[in-house]
Amino acid sequence: MDRIKKGLSIFAFFFKIGCFTFGGGWAILAQMEQEFVDKRQIITKSELLEMVAVGKSAPGIMITNISLLFGYHVAGVFGGLCAVFGIITPAVIILSIVTLFYNSFKDNYWVHAGLTGLRAAVVPIIGSAALSLGKDALRTPPAIAICLVAFCLSLLAGVSNIVLVLAGVVGALAWWAGTRIKKERVQEA
Amino acid sequence: MIYAQLFLSFMKIGFTSFGGMSMIPLILEEMTSHGWMTPEDLSNLVAIAEMTPGPLGINCATFTGTQTAGFAGSVVAVLGVLMPAFTLTMVIAIFFEKFKDSSVMRRIMFVVKPICIAMILSVIVTLSSTTYFVEGAVQSFSIGIAALMLYLLIKRKWSVPMVITSSAMLGVIFYGVLPMVRG
Repeated sequence: MDRIKKGLSIFAFFFKIGCFTFGGGWAILAQMEQEFVDKRQIITKSELLEMVAVGKSAPGIMITNISLLFGYHVAGVFGGLCAVFGIITPAVIILSIVTLFYNSFKDNYWVHAGLTGLRAAVVPIIGSAALSLGKDALRTPPAIAICLVAFCLSLLAGVSNIVLVLAGVVGALAWWAGTRIKKERVQEA
Repeated sequence: MIYAQLFLSFMKIGFTSFGGMSMIPLILEEMTSHGWMTPEDLSNLVAIAEMTPGPLGINCATFTGTQTAGFAGSVVAVLGVLMPAFTLTMVIAIFFEKFKDSSVMRRIMFVVKPICIAMILSVIVTLSSTTYFVEGAVQSFSIGIAALMLYLLIKRKWSVPMVITSSAMLGVIFYGVLPMVRG
């Protein structure tokens, strides 16, 4: 009973932040910190940071991963599910409505003109996101080399994205296994 | 079955991306190969998703699902994109202490992040060719808007919603008012 109550209050909180959060994951994190670390003191700041680190490196959407880790920490599997559904429900409702309007208005003369201008801004937006991601991920020469090879494969050879990512994961696992074996050998010798 | 296709597509997108803009290349690939969306629709979607609250991945799944198969389609697509959270992240949550500082995960991220950036760069090339060169004609107004927005984003630190609103207004002026004035 306690778990269900906790789960529902988690749902309510995540629903609330899901409604008012523009600007993606980082803005949501700031609100989680205020509510759970400072106000209610359910988790410590370093626990939250650990969840962020893990949620960021798992595949999928960062913020739903972090929500799940947090919900699970507070109220088990049910809590995790409540957190995820809480954070996504507002987005699903709003986007459903927007999509309906999109279909009935996109051929309107003025809307079409506005959309044409708006589309011009999408490439710069994606570009600046790539730039800030790149500052973090492209710090070493091997990382830059991986990026260049993948770019050529994707654009010139038409290799699909899924193949690229899977190849990367396999390569990373082989690299990890390789250094482990080396370490063990060094330890044996 | 459209629902199964949507679910599988978005599950693939979820498992092979790491949120935010890194999903766009995968979404573009899946959408155009199934014929569910044109690159133009996708650009509109990115702008809309950036203007509305919620994670980009969820917004994209809802939009695409609704477009292709109505409300049920959006539910299926969203569940698909959430599959990594419900499976992998759930397992991680259960064994959280062990995963906290895992060297495997760090290695994977070291390799996969640059690949994600490469994918984003290649999407920029694709979208640029459909946005700025329509049927062989150079769209000089769009290029001008893009250059101005890039400057405002990077040098002036404008927020994304501000950039989107002002470029939509410029679009109304250049592609709405101007052709009318010229007759």
